[in-house]
Amino acid sequence: MSGGEYPFLRARHVKYFRRCLQVLPFTSVTFDTSRMAVLYFALSGLDLLDGLSELDIKERQHIINWIYSLQILPGNDRDEQACAGFRGGTTLASCRGKSSCDAVSQLDCGHITMTYTALASLIILGDDLSRVERPAVMAHVAALQCPDGSFFSTRGGSENDMRFMYCAAAICYILQDFSAINTTSATKYILNSMSYEGAMGQGTHLEAHGGSSYCAIATLHLLGKLDSSLSRTQILGALDYLDTTALRQFVLSTQDPITGGLAKYPNSNPDGLHTYLGISGLSLLRKDDLKPVDPALNISQQALSHLHQLHKNISKNPTVPC
Amino acid sequence: MNTVREVEIPTGSMKARGPEVAPVTSGRADVSFEVSLSMGSTANNITEENTRRTPGEEQDDSLDDGSDGETWVFYRERKEWADITPVPQDDGPHAVVKIAYTEAFSDVYDYLRAVVAKGELSERALYLTEDAINMNAANYTVWQYRRKILRHLGSELEQELNFCREMIEMNPKNYQVWHHRRVIVEWLGDGSKELKLTEIIFSQDAKNYHAWEHRQWALKTFKLYDGELDYVDRLLEEDVRNNSAWNQRHFTISQTTGFTKEVIQREVEYTKAAITKVVDNESPWSYLRGVVQHCEGGLASVGDLWEWCQKMYDEGQCSPHLLTFMLDLMEDRMERQPDLRPSLLKRCLEEADAVGYVISLPPSRGQQTVALEMAMNSDNFTGVLTYIINS
Repeated sequence: MSGGEYPFLRARHVKYFRRCLQVLPFTSVTFDTSRMAVLYFALSGLDLLDGLSELDIKERQHIINWIYSLQILPGNDRDEQACAGFRGGTTLASCRGKSSCDAVSQLDCGHITMTYTALASLIILGDDLSRVERPAVMAHVAALQCPDGSFFSTRGGSENDMRFMYCAAAICYILQDFSAINTTSATKYILNSMSYEGAMGQGTHLEAHGGSSYCAIATLHLLGKLDSSLSRTQILGALDYLDTTALRQFVLSTQDPITGGLAKYPNSNPDGLHTYLGISGLSLLRKDDLKPVDPALNISQQALSHLHQLHKNISKNPTVPC
Repeated sequence: MNTVREVEIPTGSMKARGPEVAPVTSGRADVSFEVSLSMGSTANNITEENTRRTPGEEQDDSLDDGSDGETWVFYRERKEWADITPVPQDDGPHAVVKIAYTEAFSDVYDYLRAVVAKGELSERALYLTEDAINMNAANYTVWQYRRKILRHLGSELEQELNFCREMIEMNPKNYQVWHHRRVIVEWLGDGSKELKLTEIIFSQDAKNYHAWEHRQWALKTFKLYDGELDYVDRLLEEDVRNNSAWNQRHFTISQTTGFTKEVIQREVEYTKAAITKVVDNESPWSYLRGVVQHCEGGLASVGDLWEWCQKMYDEGQCSPHLLTFMLDLMEDRMERQPDLRPSLLKRCLEEADAVGYVISLPPSRGQQTVALEMAMNSDNFTGVLTYIINS
């Protein structure tokens, strides 16, 4: 495709996400431990496209059950709880029944991004989060914060940076419990990651990058620290500066007219991540009749309203789990 | 139809275990690290994978790929694994986002699950993790298990560094391989190979974020700063638009000499020369701003920056980077010297048309005058000016 206007291929993208929910080709095997994230992209994408009605009640319930089946249900032991949260896939899940050794529980841990995307997916599907093991999820988040304020992704050992900080903030916001985060050190980490370019890298001295800046700003917002930490006008509220027509044309030029889905660049292969983020971007620009997205949690505003309703219910009746 | 097949895995176990290196793939020159809030911490970019062969990828067409002719044998057919009962994956009755695993993949992971469940920390389990990693280098739990085995066996870590380098060269944008590298280097307490490794990666993609992060970590941890500024110089000579290299320049100076008065002056001259080459590229302009921010006297206190900008402007240069930098200079001077505000604001106003496409001042000239006068008379001069510029 070249030149001219690109049409927005809504129906094809709905089909694309439907296929993501079923089976991915083997070339996507690198997502084997992140299937939860792919699920979330597909669900949130379908939501923005107003295509969730394609899933009947039974299918939704199956998905909800699958998500909960990936939650790790530890005992009361604090170390065990630190390894809780949600997994991204079932690679090692079946080892647990075969053995009582700790080796498995240390390897078959929750992952902070998978926990965030599991919770977001449940909200999108209208679940009430009643089966979430809140104390274990909180112990998991708390155990992953580093002394410098940033977060690891999993108890078994990983890099630590701004991505996982964002996931921690999103989890705490969803569950309305910030006790697991040391917000002072988290905020300090974010501000120390601001480079001379006026945006954030993944950590101190690292090159500023759109992705880490997004994670940093969204974290500050979710923690309620945005206004006190940054001058809002310098960074945000600047949508007017964008050439939205050109942006839209670029996003649409990455569509695959045959399979549906959006890619990173024109004429390359689409994937769930770029399809979701592309559509989410168009939603932010208020284009193509998409449902409005909440930029901080990355769910539709409708899904966010559902979450806020759940929050009201807990504050009315604190014994009911959120 | 799909019974036992002989398939090839480019760097599998069985015999090819030494330093044979799989073909180094070329990374694309972009900064993307696919922010993996996205992908947990996984993930090469799928789009890239489709343009190159990855270990364990679709095997049907790999029989004639001309690699070393090694034949893949399923674990279930290997005598030395006969004592192990494979543990199949349990995805529940209604799994979603399934992956169409190949038979070889399921075989390897069935045995992996079996040894994990058994808690086996052995040489053969180590080899098994290598196959599992070759098939999916983004599986962080396999890497964690591998480290556990290495620790337990007290394995030769230099050899592990070689394996890790091969994996990095094949998966330069995968988080797990870089993390593994860092852990092994920490265990060894020797960072002497790290700069060279990142340089190999930069020769394919000078903006690989993982490699820059690793390099900064190695420089800081092992105090390897000697020669770093020269290396950055070379990168900037090759590509003056390399923003990652400019960032590294800032990092290196901040960790070594610091931004003393002399260093600031030197860097300003260096950057001015670079800007003259690529006035439309934002990277050196950002760096220039970053350098002079360290100057106590502010932007306008460094040498002849204003005159230098003015000269370019007079020669007809109207790059938005030049114009915004001039506005910053003016703002800085007005902030520090209130008596200059009337004349400088007038100048701002005159240039409003020129910069109009960069910075939107209120539309009519009358409104602009009012707004700028408001700024001039306000105690919070910068705040108001920022508001005007952004409104």
